[in-house]
Amino acid sequence: MNGTLLITVNVHGIGPEAASMPEAELFGRDAHGRYTYRIGLARVLDALRAYGLPATFFWPAMEAEKLPRLVDRCLRDGHEIASHGRAFEDHAQLAPDEEASLIGEAHEVLRRLSGVAPRGFRAPTGTLSQNTIPILQALGYRYDSSFLDDDSPYPLTAHGGDGMIELPISEALTDATHFRRRVTQDRAEELMREELSALLAVDGYACLTFHPRADIGVGRAARLPLIERLARLAEEQGARPALCGRFAEQIHIAGTANTIENAGD
Amino acid sequence: MASHTKPPDQRIEWPDQARAVVCVTIHVDGPAVEAGRSQNALGIHSRGNYALRRGIRRYLDMLDRHGVKATFFCCGYDAEHWPEPFHEIHQAGHEIAAHGYQHEGFDLGEREPELLEKTHRILAAFGSPPVGWCSPSGRKSRLTLPTLRRLGYIYDASEKDEDIPYLLEDGFMILPNNTVSLDDFPMYFTGGASAAEVERNFVQEFDAALDRDGYVHLTVHPRAGGGSGTPARAAAVDRFLAYAKATSRVRFMTCRELAEYCLSDAARWRDARS
Repeated sequence: MNGTLLITVNVHGIGPEAASMPEAELFGRDAHGRYTYRIGLARVLDALRAYGLPATFFWPAMEAEKLPRLVDRCLRDGHEIASHGRAFEDHAQLAPDEEASLIGEAHEVLRRLSGVAPRGFRAPTGTLSQNTIPILQALGYRYDSSFLDDDSPYPLTAHGGDGMIELPISEALTDATHFRRRVTQDRAEELMREELSALLAVDGYACLTFHPRADIGVGRAARLPLIERLARLAEEQGARPALCGRFAEQIHIAGTANTIENAGD
Repeated sequence: MASHTKPPDQRIEWPDQARAVVCVTIHVDGPAVEAGRSQNALGIHSRGNYALRRGIRRYLDMLDRHGVKATFFCCGYDAEHWPEPFHEIHQAGHEIAAHGYQHEGFDLGEREPELLEKTHRILAAFGSPPVGWCSPSGRKSRLTLPTLRRLGYIYDASEKDEDIPYLLEDGFMILPNNTVSLDDFPMYFTGGASAAEVERNFVQEFDAALDRDGYVHLTVHPRAGGGSGTPARAAAVDRFLAYAKATSRVRFMTCRELAEYCLSDAARWRDARS
C-alpha cells in the first residue's frame, strides 16, 4: 500500500499567551513558551535531522521574527516554511480588511526571513473566517491545513479557494490534544498510534502535528523519540513522509484529491 | 528514513561528575490551600489535612530509608498553625523553603511583599531562614523577585522554560521545576493516570535526563486528592526513588545545595549550554 505521512510542526513559543498579556508579565506557568526559544525548537530540529525526517513548519510571523536563525536552519535542513498567521489572532473575529492586511503582513515577514514565499497556511488559533481562504488564494497559496472534516485532502473550491487543496489535520494526531489533558507520555503515544494506523488504512493519508513546547508538545528529551516511532509505524503501513507543499502540488497535477462534498454546505 | 541515533545533547558539569542530580521537592500544601480558597478544612475539604495527619510523616520515613535529603516547600499558614511536623522536617535535616502563605494562586497586587515576608518570618523560626521559593500557582509578579532578594533568597524554583538551572543577570538562580513530566499533581488530577503510569513517566523522564542534561527536579504532594500522600501513590514515589538510587553516579541534592553549588561558579550558569 502506498501512502503519505505529513509531519508538521506548529512553531508556538510564548505567542499564544502574549496574544492576551504583555510578554514582560509572563512568568512560570504562563511562560512555558520560552522553552521553545531556549531549547525546544532546536531539539525538534536536531531530532528530525537525526531521524532523517522532512517536516513542514507552520511559523507565526511573530515567532519567526524572534528566531530568524532557526528559520534559516529549517530551510537548510530541507524543511518547508508555511504561514501560521501573524501573532495568534483569532481569524474568525477579524474584519475582512484587517484579515487581508494581517495575512499579507505575515506573508511578507516569512518571505523576507526565508527568501521564499510561503505556499501553505494553517490558522493560528484554528479558526477561520469566510474570507480566509479567498485572501490566501489571491496571494497565490496552494493549500490550507486547518480543517478536521475529512480523512484525506480535498479541493477548497467550495470555500472560495479555486486551485487550493485542503490538507486536513487530525486532533488525535496532534500532540497538544493529549498533553493539554496532562496524560502520561505512554498514554499519549497509545492514543496517537491507534489513530494513525486506522486513519492510514482509509485513504493512505495522515497528518501528524507537533509543538516544540515542553508542556503541550514534544520538545522534551523524553518525548522527541515519539516522532520517529510514529513515522516508523506509518512506514510499516507504506506511508512515506512528505512536505506539505510538494504533496499539494502532486495532487494538483494528478487531480486526485477526493471529491467528497463538504457535508456542511 | 535514516539512522536511529539520538539527538546530540551537551553534557552539563555536575558535582563529582554525576550523571544526574536529583532534587526531591515536597510541596506540603496542607490546609493552607483550602484556607486560601475560604473553605473550612472539614469533610471533603480535608485533603490538605491529610498531609499533616499522614503524608508528611510517610515521606519523612521514606526519605530516611533512602538516605535522601529533600526540599520541603511549605505554606506559611500551615507552619504557623500546625508547627510540629515542620519541626520534624527540619530536625531530619531537610530544607524548608517558601511556598506562599495560603498557597495563593491569584495576583496579590501590592499585598504580595507583605505576605512573602510573613511566610518568611514563620518559616525562619524552624531553624534557618529559607533561601528558596517556589510559586504556589506557578505564577509571579514584578514584585516577587525584588522582595525575595531583599529577604536574602538565592533561588526561585518556578520557571518551566529550561531543563537545567540558569543564572539571572543580577545573580539570582533559577532552578526550573518540571510540572510537565515530574510532578504528580497534573497527571493524577487532570490526566487521570494510575500510580503505575505516573511511576513509568517519572522513570522515562529520569532516563532521558541521565548522561544528558542530568537535572531531575521531582515534585510530589503529600496531600490526598491529586497528590501522592496516599499509600498506592506514595509507593510509586518510593519505587522511583529506589530506581534512581540504584543508578550509578546519581547525586541527590536539596535545592539549596544545588543553588549554592551553581553560585560557587556563577558565571558558568549564565549560559551553561554554550
